[in-house]
Amino acid sequence: MRVTRRRFVQGAAAASAVVAGRRFLFGELGVVAEAVSPQATLSLVEDFVPTACWVGKQDCGMMARRIDGRVVKFEGLAANPSNRGTLCPKGQAQIVSIYDPNRVKAPLIRTNAKGVSGTWREASWDEALRLVADRVNEVRARNPKMVLWQKGRSKSEKLYDDAFVGALGCSKLGHGGYCSDAGYRALEYTIGLHGVQHPDMRHVNYLLAWGWNITNAGGNKFCWITWPQQLVEARDRGLKIVHIDPRLRSAGPFADMWLPIRPGTDLALALALCRELIELDYLDRPYLIKYTNAPYLVGEDGLFLRVGEGDEAVAAVWDPETAAPVAAGTFEYRGASYATAFTLFREHIAGSTPEWAAEITGLPAGDIARVAREFGENAMIGSVTVVDGIEIPHRPVAIMSYHMAQQELGFQALRAMTMVAMLVGAVGAVGGQLTDFTWKVHANYEAFATLKVGDPPYDFTLKNSKYFPINTGLPGIVAKVMVDPGRYGVEEIPEVAIVHMTNPVVAYPDRKTIMEGYDRFRFVAVISPWLSETADYYADVVLPAATIEKYEGPLSASDGYVDAVTVRIPPMEPLFQSRGEIDIYLDLTEAIGTLYGEGGYIDRINESLGLEGELALPLDVKPPVRDIFDHWAQTQGVEGVSYFAENGVLVKGAIPAAKKYGYAVEPPFAGAIHRLYGESLLVAQQAMRQKGAEEIYWQDYTPFPTWRRPTFDTSPSEYDLTLISFKQIEHKQSRSSFMPLLAELAPRARLDINPVTAAERGIAEGDPVWVESQNALSGETRRVRTWAAITAAIRPDTVGMPHHFGMWAHPVNEGQGPSPNEIAYTGEGYLCQTADQSFHVKVRVYPDTENT
Amino acid sequence: MTRYAMAIDLDRCQGCRACMEACKVENNTTESVFWMYVFRLESGEYPDTKVSFLPRPCQHCDDAPCVKVCPVGARFKRDDGLVLTDYDRCIGCRYCELACPYGVNYFNWAKPQTRQYLDYDHPDIAAATGGFVPPYKNPDHDRLYGEEQRRTSGGGHMKGVVEKCTFCVHRIDKGLQPACVATCPVGALVFGDLDDERSGVATMVHDRTHFRLLEEAGTRPSVLYFGGAPPSTESREIETVKARI
Amino acid sequence: MATATPDTPLSRGVGKLTGGWLGFVGAMLVLVAVGAYAYSREVSEGMILTGMRDVGTMGGATWGLYISFVVYFVGVSFAGITTAAVIRIFNLNRLRPLARMAEVVTVVSLVLAALAIIADLGQPLRGIVNLFRYARPQSPFFGTFTLVVAGYLWASVVYLWLTSRSDAAVLARQPTRLQWLHRLVAAGYRDTPAERERHSRATFWLAIAILPMLVIAHSTLGFVFGLQVGRPGWYSALQAPAFVVLAGVSGIGALIVLAAIVRKMIGREVGLDMYVFGWLGRVLLVLLLAYAYFMVTELLTATYAGGARERAVTRAMLWGDYSWVFWSSVALLAVPLVALMVQALTRRWTVAWLVASGIAVNLGAIGKRYLITVPSQTHGTLLPYVEGSYAPTWIELAVVGGLLALGALLIGMYMKVLPIVELEEEEVHA
Repeated sequence: MRVTRRRFVQGAAAASAVVAGRRFLFGELGVVAEAVSPQATLSLVEDFVPTACWVGKQDCGMMARRIDGRVVKFEGLAANPSNRGTLCPKGQAQIVSIYDPNRVKAPLIRTNAKGVSGTWREASWDEALRLVADRVNEVRARNPKMVLWQKGRSKSEKLYDDAFVGALGCSKLGHGGYCSDAGYRALEYTIGLHGVQHPDMRHVNYLLAWGWNITNAGGNKFCWITWPQQLVEARDRGLKIVHIDPRLRSAGPFADMWLPIRPGTDLALALALCRELIELDYLDRPYLIKYTNAPYLVGEDGLFLRVGEGDEAVAAVWDPETAAPVAAGTFEYRGASYATAFTLFREHIAGSTPEWAAEITGLPAGDIARVAREFGENAMIGSVTVVDGIEIPHRPVAIMSYHMAQQELGFQALRAMTMVAMLVGAVGAVGGQLTDFTWKVHANYEAFATLKVGDPPYDFTLKNSKYFPINTGLPGIVAKVMVDPGRYGVEEIPEVAIVHMTNPVVAYPDRKTIMEGYDRFRFVAVISPWLSETADYYADVVLPAATIEKYEGPLSASDGYVDAVTVRIPPMEPLFQSRGEIDIYLDLTEAIGTLYGEGGYIDRINESLGLEGELALPLDVKPPVRDIFDHWAQTQGVEGVSYFAENGVLVKGAIPAAKKYGYAVEPPFAGAIHRLYGESLLVAQQAMRQKGAEEIYWQDYTPFPTWRRPTFDTSPSEYDLTLISFKQIEHKQSRSSFMPLLAELAPRARLDINPVTAAERGIAEGDPVWVESQNALSGETRRVRTWAAITAAIRPDTVGMPHHFGMWAHPVNEGQGPSPNEIAYTGEGYLCQTADQSFHVKVRVYPDTENT
Repeated sequence: MTRYAMAIDLDRCQGCRACMEACKVENNTTESVFWMYVFRLESGEYPDTKVSFLPRPCQHCDDAPCVKVCPVGARFKRDDGLVLTDYDRCIGCRYCELACPYGVNYFNWAKPQTRQYLDYDHPDIAAATGGFVPPYKNPDHDRLYGEEQRRTSGGGHMKGVVEKCTFCVHRIDKGLQPACVATCPVGALVFGDLDDERSGVATMVHDRTHFRLLEEAGTRPSVLYFGGAPPSTESREIETVKARI
Repeated sequence: MATATPDTPLSRGVGKLTGGWLGFVGAMLVLVAVGAYAYSREVSEGMILTGMRDVGTMGGATWGLYISFVVYFVGVSFAGITTAAVIRIFNLNRLRPLARMAEVVTVVSLVLAALAIIADLGQPLRGIVNLFRYARPQSPFFGTFTLVVAGYLWASVVYLWLTSRSDAAVLARQPTRLQWLHRLVAAGYRDTPAERERHSRATFWLAIAILPMLVIAHSTLGFVFGLQVGRPGWYSALQAPAFVVLAGVSGIGALIVLAAIVRKMIGREVGLDMYVFGWLGRVLLVLLLAYAYFMVTELLTATYAGGARERAVTRAMLWGDYSWVFWSSVALLAVPLVALMVQALTRRWTVAWLVASGIAVNLGAIGKRYLITVPSQTHGTLLPYVEGSYAPTWIELAVVGGLLALGALLIGMYMKVLPIVELEEEEVHA
């Protein structure tokens, strides 16, 4: 039946009468007057547009459902391999915050002094960008490196980290030092790949979930949906999981065995596992001999025996007597004594028995021995399988580890854990230990062969310094340097900061140090959809960023087995006066004067996106952002952004075995020899000592991972509990606790505490408690007040706090409680040797009797 | 003959509560209302602690106590198995809520104002949404459904009535899956027709054993749990959602 | 008898408005107004103004003070009509002075019960219409709250009217300001033997009919709770009989209090003597003993062994959040039990003790009704929800207070328009 205008009006009138009548009889008395508006019923058009999630890490594919152009719900995009049509609670909940009236509506310029809550005046984009450009140019004229671009999550590395930073010539700092970069450095050093550790999920049979927060957080490379999807399928196949973590809650029902390890002792456990594997002879000798430096001959000076001259010198592996490579043995050569690296390793860990590790880790020795044995058994050493027609060794055992690398011994712990996989030959095997989607060796592998230990003056990140020869680049260190550059041999500190999708004052430990650092910036511009706490206290200018209403990308949509790409397409116009970051950077570089021409932003975009020839953007025209992606899409073989608007994602096909598995790559492992023995670490240590660095910096630069008691653990005994922090699935770092739907699920901070521990302190469920931390080196103490959550799924000597709270700038944040970053410490004693943050600290917990 | 049922695989569920959020957004329910709820449970003593998760939608019982006690027949059971509430007829006595052993009913204590979790009276919201007043309403929730032609879909319609999970009657009417099922990242929720042997639920029933919650209560629920185990009296809730309007 | 004039006082104090009475009416009107205001707020802003919340995830009680009082009011009505019916059926003439006020108590408390039910509905207007339009007898709620309360109320009103007719006819002979009302109520009653015979038979049979109806009423009230398998603490076969017995306790108690007030107001010569009070005291004692038996049985069963879920409710009642309500209710029932036993054994009844007992058992009954209703919601879940809490807000207290005041007001007004104690046979035939 066609709805004619007259019929419609008649119907609407009739409907109104009926509705009014019904309402009178059966509804509230007050609503008789509320007529049914004809407009509201006339044009409700529904459509779906593909886009990508903004809240989390990995830009899950979404479909935005729109009614009359207004986005009303997000659902998963089925074709996207990384989330396959589903969304996590944050993905579902972000709809609220898009329309949040507390979003920054216009560019803001500060009107009061910094270091306290800000008062602002609204400004036009022109004025705000002009102000930022002027301040940036002032500093660029002297030294562009003194402009610092600080990012948290970069959802378009090519356009931000590469092109924008390149166009400005400025310094950049990421968040990796708080993420998992100690692990990245360890894997880059040991096997050359850029990542931490994950299993070949489709084929693994026995998995050590080492600090993997299965039910709440992502793992190596992926955010949260992709791994659990693969995990449950693996469980259907019969995958066994050993969960190594002070908290069981993170594994939920998926742990077949729980090793409740004491925080910070993972290195000891790994060494014990290695020792057991060697003891039980679970060794993949062909792999060790051919693809690692295990057979290299090491002299008494700790250096490799090299034959040949100068650049041609290679480390020697052969037994000079028999000219055959061996894994274990000691030899005499030219009057000097040499042992193979493997022999030295075996000696090094001879005392790392399960009993020894049990003492340190708090785990039963029997369990440690059992895990080692089962790991070795399940490794099926010697077996091969065929994938994509290639014969590849089959070792279905592996480790998943990620953020737990951020501890004082993290770098060496990850090396030791990698060695566990190396001993059985699982690295790069089918079902075994992977680190990245494809077996690409990172530049750091070569760079780490000769670690540069330079002389002052040092860069403000202390790169190549005697403090951190391997240096992830940590904002906490930079803050300490900015406060006391002389102490670190630094002469120039950054003056201008551009802060992109991160909230250092809340998200980076420790708050006091970070604030002291930000105090010293002469000018800070923050790009954020909401007024972040960093902006509140330290921004001179706040530029309102759009959330999902922008083009952004390219975004990976891979699941590790299938390669795919996508781009974020705005499902609606930006709200208020917000803009996408690419838009902002186009205008900002224009104002700065580095948009056009050679080496400008457009030029660098062409470079980083691979836009050549006809596809290159002209260097003298400011492109609409969509055009950039249109060009990029063509490099991917499709006609433009319209392809993505139609299909949501471009699936490029399966990642072939020849690219995925280290053994199958040509040459195997991309030619990188796996470093069982870290010779360059020893060399670096010698250089650090020679240049006068204190022991705390060089003590862990040892060729083999060596256990020592972590510094944090030396706090006085009344600080008898270890504080760890953890992630909740409901929240994403510091950008979600003010979202009402998520705040409803997880409304405030808490302290996870064991029932026995709580009872000893007279603490009941929900009681307010003080958590007081102590810095083992400086003696400083700090405390925060939170609420106890009693759970038997945590060690009695450990307590945990989620790290999503401690914010104040948004009304919803009120009463949410603190962040553990407020009582954490950064700097010496709370850092890994690679300038990665350690998140462990000793605390004492007691009921709050002061505020009843 | 259609017989709708939901299968919940407790071996897969990881307690993320995405289903709770999807349900809220889809059905426009108000604060503190969780038609789908997920228990996070713990039992045992350290170090033998066990953690498990239990999603709890409305069970759409075949012998529903809520249907039995409704004085005006606003709560009724359809032939295809869905137990629905006619929000035009409900008088808000809340007896269904008390009769239900599973606690799935929610009463609109106040005028539902913050639907879609936003306060529509806020001027910035009106400005942000292009002045679309009245604010967003899912038109699906105003329609009549089923052979019975009654208004049973969605939440937050008016104060003084009881609402609960409808198995997304408005979505299955269009051949879609309920919102919770569609969003579950690990496919722990499966919905379909038991009488269709090709459906996911029928296959699961055929291949595996299952249990139902509170079987001894004799309610004959249509929600089937696979894997895992029913909660015991030792199960304690952790990370409770304490939202209370 | 002197010739009556408009100013001649009617018997039983009808029409005589004293200062005290006016003050009482004023105070009650104030309370009723406050209650009405509170209710109007509840209607316009929603029941969120009460302390009730959803069971389960919200950790609340969805039936609270209102339903507790519904049960209490229906309970009070029990004793009224039972007493009146028993008096008529068995011709207990010495107790006749109680009959009228018992009937009035029943009618008034049923009216209050009906109003309390309406106060508890989310959609009250719709409720009134739909409860009759879509009647579902399978629902215990319908069975009790609609069918029985409505039917029972209607039967009680008819009964009250029938029995009042003769008195109204007597009063109508006097040309007072209320004569029109008396004529209306009398509705053409002529005091002839045939009429009397018919009247007597009608009331007799109506009394017979009402008795089973009220047993059903209180049993179905018990069923509202007792049939719910999903609520630990409710699901019990004892609910129905326990309801009936406690109903009797509270009803008789209320009757005692009212009888004492009436005796004070219109003098002893109307026949409200120690025989009547003694009888009431003995009935109350027997009912209390019976109820004590039920309580002990329930408690023993619950504490000896029980499902973990039931025990959670029992624990909350005995030593948890509700223990103060529980133990004070027990005391409010046990102390009168002892006092009555002492009076019964020594055969010395004092009105003061009886009134105190009457008030106490009513407070205890209110407490028990509350304990039946609430703990099984906040602490009685079969799924592992965390325990909840409930506390009534001023809105609920004001509405309930308004209802109680309304009840007192209605009784007080009745006393001034129709005789609260039956007119003696001699007066009738004079």
